[in-house]
Amino acid sequence: MANALELTAVSKRYGQTSALDGVDLTAEQGQTIAVLGPNGAGKSTLLSIALGLLPPTSGTAAILGHPPVEALRKGLVGVLLQESGLLEDVRVDELVTATAGMYQKPMPVERALRAARADGFAAQRIGKLSGGQRQRVRIALALIGDPRLLVLDEPTVGLDVDGRRALWQEVRARTGEGRTAVFATHYLTEADDYADRVILLAKGKVVADGPVEKIKELVGGSEVHVTLDAAEVGVLQALPGVRQVRVEGGAAVLRTNDSDATLRALFATFADARDVRTAGTDLESAFVSLTGGN
Amino acid sequence: MGSYLKLELLRSVRNTTGLIMLTVFPLVLYLLWTKVLRVVPAGPQQVDFAAYTMVSMAVYGAMGGALFIGGAIAMERSKGWLRQLAVTPLPAHGYISAKLIAGATGVLPSILVVLGGGALISGVRLPPGTWPALVVLIWVGVMPFAALGVTFGYTMNGQAANLAMIAVFFGLSVLGGLWLPVQLMPEFMRTLAEYSPAYQAGSLGWRVLAGDWPTVKSLVVLAGWTLLFSGLASWRYRRAL
Repeated sequence: MANALELTAVSKRYGQTSALDGVDLTAEQGQTIAVLGPNGAGKSTLLSIALGLLPPTSGTAAILGHPPVEALRKGLVGVLLQESGLLEDVRVDELVTATAGMYQKPMPVERALRAARADGFAAQRIGKLSGGQRQRVRIALALIGDPRLLVLDEPTVGLDVDGRRALWQEVRARTGEGRTAVFATHYLTEADDYADRVILLAKGKVVADGPVEKIKELVGGSEVHVTLDAAEVGVLQALPGVRQVRVEGGAAVLRTNDSDATLRALFATFADARDVRTAGTDLESAFVSLTGGN
Repeated sequence: MGSYLKLELLRSVRNTTGLIMLTVFPLVLYLLWTKVLRVVPAGPQQVDFAAYTMVSMAVYGAMGGALFIGGAIAMERSKGWLRQLAVTPLPAHGYISAKLIAGATGVLPSILVVLGGGALISGVRLPPGTWPALVVLIWVGVMPFAALGVTFGYTMNGQAANLAMIAVFFGLSVLGGLWLPVQLMPEFMRTLAEYSPAYQAGSLGWRVLAGDWPTVKSLVVLAGWTLLFSGLASWRYRRAL
């Protein structure tokens, strides 16, 4: 069985800057894969190359064993792009119906509209829709061909809770039938909740690839910020739960798997520990630590 | 492509602004010249003038319709709709074909309404066979402008393309003698006009009023422009892919 998506040693350079650097990615059928990374990590570039919209500087891409453009023409892929436009002067159902006609075996228009929660405004002109409603139309357009591979770039941007829930429910139902979904996001929780596998991208490189738990070990946990008179990295590092220590002047930042245990030990060890606060790891700073950048 | 063509046809029917600009406007201009203003003295000359201007205004409206196919392409391109289409099974040539077919169909009302105004309001009388011949000749005559429009549509963005096309539209209309007959132009301008595409598109219709076939020069000049515009259009289109 061909892989749903296969990227081999894909690089993309714009002059001196490297947007993607030797990325390998193999998505087996039936998987839900999150491409996770901060803004500018190369997620959209990666998806554009995977879809044949952008030529790679080197490397190859294939979808279900076909060159990407051929797979698109065959209707094997449903895509939601970040900045795609819609026709303003037609109704939602008219646009979705016209798009359905381009595929060999589309799903019924009503079903796509319902799955995207766009059925409530199907008879409205697209020019009159709000940003969130337009995103639902894009989702309906991605689903309408009943594709074997879904590629979604930041699909939940502008969606409310109901819209998100509906989208992920549909994605799950599809992957349950052996279809594949690849989505890009910069929300860790989204990857956590809905992906079987996470590909962590930073500065154009895959810095981690594996099940969600493995990634969470790398970037999850929380941070303890503390001010100390004499912060000794070695001692701090030995506190329970601590994975990583950063000292800046009199302030230390401890990355920990178990903030309760770390705090107890911190107060017991350092009588002068003050200005203590804990914070969840934000993804951006986690990436910085993972990629060893500044 | 069928379903997309259907959508495009629906859009061109719904485009009221476009229909008014390219149907009602030429008709009103036509009636102004033939029914309100006294451009030529009453009598046989008036009748000839009514028929001549009818063709001019029909060509004028139809030419605009053909050109602005490209305006729509430019808008859709700059709004990212072509990005969306690129991830559907519809190939790029399917999009452009649907645009051209729907656009060419959308040109017909301009022709029919002005000819209708000529026949019903301004008293133009022609042999029955001449009417359908006029429709076909005007329709075919403005097709080079569709190619010119596509060139603009794939070269310039949104509003800029539309502005450029308005300038080209009026420039070529005036030069082609659609607003005022070329007979009124000074010698050098007249020579220039006779090699312009709008004049030759008009001349197909003007000659058939008198029962004459298109001249060889007309056909050669029109074919030349068509080749040039189509070449430019396909070059710009390929570049944009």
